Amino acid sequence: MGWRVGVDSGGTFTDICLFEEETGRVEIWKVPSTPHDPSVAISTGVAEALDRLGATPEAVAYFGHGTTVATNALIQGRGVSTGLIATRGFRDLLEIGRQKRPHLYDIHAEKPKTLVSRELRIGVAERVRNDGSVEQPLDEDALRTAAKELKAAGVKSVAITFLYSFAHTAHEEAALRILSEEFPEAFVSASHRIAPEFREFERMSTTVVNAYLGPVMKGYLHNLENSLKEMGLDAVPHLTQSNGGVIGFDTAAEMPVRTVLSGPSTGVVAALALSEMTGGQDLITFDMGGTSTDVALLKGGECRMVGEAVVHGYPIKAPMLDIHTVGAGGGSLVHVDSGGLIKVGPRSAGAFPGPACYGHGTTEPTVTDANVFLQNLDPRYLLRGRMPVHRDLAEAALKTIADQVGMSVAEAADGILDIVAANMTKAIRVISVQRGHDPRDYTLVAFGGAGPLHAARLAAELEMRRILVPLTPGILCAMGLLMTDLRTDFASTRLASLDTLDPSWLEEVFANLERRADAWFASENIPLDARMTRRTVDVRYAGQNYEISVAVPGGTTDRSTFEAIRREFLAGHDQLYGFTSDGEEIELVTYRLEARAGIRKARFKPRPMGASDPAGALIGERLVWCRQAGSFRTHKIYDRLLLVPGNIVEGPAIIDQMDTTTVVPAGMEAHVDVYLNLVMEAY
Amino acid sequence: MAQVKQNPVTAESRSLNPITIEVIGSAFASIVEEMGETLVRSSYSTNIKERRDCSTALFDASGHTLCQAEHVPMHLGSFIGFVPLILKKHGLVGLRPGDVFIGNDAYEGGGTHLPDIVLAEPIFHGGRLTAWAINTAHHSDFVDRGHAHIYQEGLRMPPVRLYRAGDLQEDIQDLFLLNCQVPRERLSDLRAQMAANRLGVRRMIDLCDKYGADTVEAAGQELQDYAERRMRAGIRTIPDGIYTFSDRFDCEVFEALWDFSVRIIVRGDEMELRFDSPPQSRSPMNVVRTALLATVYYAVKSIVDPSMPPNAGLARPITVIAEEGSVLNCVHPAAVDGRLTSCQRVVDLIHGALAPVLPERVTAAGNGSCFDITFSGQRPDGSLWVYLETIGGGNGARFDKDGLDGVHVHMTNTSNLPVEALEVEYPITLLAYELIDSSGGAGEFRGGMGIRRVYRAEQACRVHYGGSRMRSQPWGLDGGLPGASGGFRFSDGVTPFLKGVGTVNAGDIIEVFTPGGGGYGDPTRRPPNVVQQDLREGSFTLADATVFQSKEV
Repeated sequence: MGWRVGVDSGGTFTDICLFEEETGRVEIWKVPSTPHDPSVAISTGVAEALDRLGATPEAVAYFGHGTTVATNALIQGRGVSTGLIATRGFRDLLEIGRQKRPHLYDIHAEKPKTLVSRELRIGVAERVRNDGSVEQPLDEDALRTAAKELKAAGVKSVAITFLYSFAHTAHEEAALRILSEEFPEAFVSASHRIAPEFREFERMSTTVVNAYLGPVMKGYLHNLENSLKEMGLDAVPHLTQSNGGVIGFDTAAEMPVRTVLSGPSTGVVAALALSEMTGGQDLITFDMGGTSTDVALLKGGECRMVGEAVVHGYPIKAPMLDIHTVGAGGGSLVHVDSGGLIKVGPRSAGAFPGPACYGHGTTEPTVTDANVFLQNLDPRYLLRGRMPVHRDLAEAALKTIADQVGMSVAEAADGILDIVAANMTKAIRVISVQRGHDPRDYTLVAFGGAGPLHAARLAAELEMRRILVPLTPGILCAMGLLMTDLRTDFASTRLASLDTLDPSWLEEVFANLERRADAWFASENIPLDARMTRRTVDVRYAGQNYEISVAVPGGTTDRSTFEAIRREFLAGHDQLYGFTSDGEEIELVTYRLEARAGIRKARFKPRPMGASDPAGALIGERLVWCRQAGSFRTHKIYDRLLLVPGNIVEGPAIIDQMDTTTVVPAGMEAHVDVYLNLVMEAY
Repeated sequence: MAQVKQNPVTAESRSLNPITIEVIGSAFASIVEEMGETLVRSSYSTNIKERRDCSTALFDASGHTLCQAEHVPMHLGSFIGFVPLILKKHGLVGLRPGDVFIGNDAYEGGGTHLPDIVLAEPIFHGGRLTAWAINTAHHSDFVDRGHAHIYQEGLRMPPVRLYRAGDLQEDIQDLFLLNCQVPRERLSDLRAQMAANRLGVRRMIDLCDKYGADTVEAAGQELQDYAERRMRAGIRTIPDGIYTFSDRFDCEVFEALWDFSVRIIVRGDEMELRFDSPPQSRSPMNVVRTALLATVYYAVKSIVDPSMPPNAGLARPITVIAEEGSVLNCVHPAAVDGRLTSCQRVVDLIHGALAPVLPERVTAAGNGSCFDITFSGQRPDGSLWVYLETIGGGNGARFDKDGLDGVHVHMTNTSNLPVEALEVEYPITLLAYELIDSSGGAGEFRGGMGIRRVYRAEQACRVHYGGSRMRSQPWGLDGGLPGASGGFRFSDGVTPFLKGVGTVNAGDIIEVFTPGGGGYGDPTRRPPNVVQQDLREGSFTLADATVFQSKEV
């Protein structure tokens, strides 16, 4: 027994959350990040935090970590020099991709940079057919030559992708063996291990991204593990993956591609914790920062999983939480286009020079300027007085927009916030309405610096009745790390008709996946009684190309299993597309096994309820634009940290805290719950 | 400046302020996008589910585009003729919710070639026609046919009701399916098209419930006015003047070379484009007027302002003239199946003409074609199979960057089919899919590289291939050299094809080379370190390096 530690390492701050298992005590610590080597801030921060509590590193029983190292390396092109070995005739597939151009109308748009330059892509003779049989054996001599060439060219990493490697692994395995003989110091990724599914380009892209990031991630985790060991921390460290589960550092170092969405998925995991904390509500998360916004939908305590996504232009096949990102946030610039309409984004003012109100010389208004002018944000200071702002500069910038469209500055600023809400609505519709979910059945969870500022408008636009604002967004992510299961996913692809399938065949497919899961459980030292698995299969009508994920009931596989699959598939197809095709053949495509190890999760203790009157937290008043009234009205200002459970803040009001501001509009009220979350509802 | 007192904002004017227009415009865009996803994800045929050869759109009640999803620009041609034809043929009287019109004909059905089948459904709100949901999908069917006139090219359908007030008209469907070579796929794809429109109808009704149908309709009109303003603003950036360009067109169907030319008159914020082309021919390369319009709208939008919304308003300042009965404005009974390849050349003409005044916005010639290959045969159970694909090539180099390698250019933008999907579904094996060394035109910025794709037939089948730039080369700009021509090659023993059509046997090999893009700028200005990288990468070989000769190579 001891402390469980969650560390969320972001671009600006490293948030550390400590939870004492015996007492349920929660402590929070925040230190500036060290972008050149994030492990420095992490180890010193954890040491400081433990020191403050009078605890020793030996007392840490669990260490969970969310990181943007892999994502940032991908965005900034800081991966290593990588070579590619492919089936002869197909080495350029990496560059051709799906042969579509990056933008339909913009003839000046560029494709994302190809991660392996052409001279480092080598085709080797070998060919497997679609049934897994070998038409042409691997030319091992040619492969040996390729390995030597890549070594001579100075690559650090090699990706191997042969056609149909998911059906016949021997050629890639031979290539791995030869590379380990000829080029043992290289980081090597083979597609049958990284993404054993059909569609060769996406599999190749995933394998290449993995190889490109491998040495970066390996180096980072190596540093972090060493510094943690040096400080005396013995607990096995774990890392969040894009699927929201955690894995050990060894697995993460082999499969960095599985962690590219570690950052945003940590936020979703945190929201899951929040859902559990507040009685299992279904949630839509709205994490709005300065330049981008992430949204996700959580139903029944789970976030939908997708098998593939395009991350910064690179297709990646890996189990990922269904998180939708839009490139818009508080720093998005506002302009009037040549047709006379107001547009928000896609350009952003960034941290410097930042919005016009910062006074660093920008004259183009941003969303933040609209909020400062309307006084949703304190028109004098942000960050509780740490950063002065200039409302007059915001006004001057906004006036250029207002004049062009013939509106008052206030109307234009108000309109800008409506456009932001419309853009965000579009993103939320993708993960809700487009997947067959009605947002009105969900609670909106607002976090990120700008989330609580815009949440009420967004909720109104989507007719969502409830908004939840957690105590501190950054810390929430760190807390989420303490509530995550250890999990990973295994998959294999083999087409089979549901009508003619033999139950024992299906059982054998899953038994194979179970064996792989057992090996993983053993490598992570998971006791037998904590091991959990769940089977799903991707199903479609024979001839379709997009599958619907269907749960496969546990227990014996027999005809009734098939009936259950059929039922769930037909219901899912009808929900998504509004029709089923009676009598058409139903086909099974990819079999998946989710392996999960239940960890002892942190449980947060409720605080005692106080009075409903929030007067104790009242810190002032100011005029704030009231959208309903179409004018500025006096709003009460409350300090978030002074609010106690039971308090009810009636709108219109503003609730201020260091890292965000919550707008409670007229007609809504905000309750403080026993975990200090704000719950906003119409009254 | 004097203070101007603002007029009080009334409820009416408020409902149509620029914010509402923007919000409703964004809703239209998300509806057509969602319709497109539904169509792709629930369809069966490889041409739609993987290659995404389909488009979705919303139209206003009178048949003007409100919004088109970003799939295939060519498909706009099928849309702009369709709703007006329905209104002309059937009128508003008797039009009911749940009616669904199907059609494809190039002369009486609003289409641009017969395999693009359009489905349109009226959207009613409060008992009034408010808008249309419409989509088109390229059905891989009607293959292995003649192209002397349109009667050889497939079943011609004017807009007729496939559903009447929600009830399937099985006799119409049966008639259509009996004329199809792969009826099972056709039926399933029609279901996917239905699902896409149903969704569009539902979403538009929700939108009208929320804002009121009047507001949505008014915003639709405002958005068209807005696109018009954007287009006018874009045209105004082009100096007034007369700009001309001409080019040669070749294809696999005939020996002749056609002369295409354009004369563009820019005056203020308006533009007139006058095209000259030979008389229409007994070949599939003819283009109906709606296809020409879709091509011009695409080309001008992509050159002057790619971000303007794709609706009918952008067409207002543009006048398009081409003689009736010529290749670029054909009339009944000209065959039209290969119109896309001709249209690709029309885009090149417009770029070429505007290059002297908009050098930083146009590109050198792209592959100028849409190489396609179609395989068809019979399965052991007697049913037929059809596989069609189109292959990208190089795009033209730009003012300040190289052209894109191996992409679909201009009027099309379909995906390839993964090898691992193709070989499961069809008796074809892919032997190579790669970029072609030295195929991009040299220049300070080089043209994009073409693609080499090699097939092996695993059973006897009929094959059709088509394309252009096989006997000419995509031109460069400002001293840039032309890209390489494309072509087809067969293994020994294959009986020579006639007009791109023939038979292959099991084991025969077909090799396709698509053209590269033209270069931009004098090659001697290409920096030596970049040339060295070209040589390392093989985008140029040492034999080509002489064009960079004033530099050390």
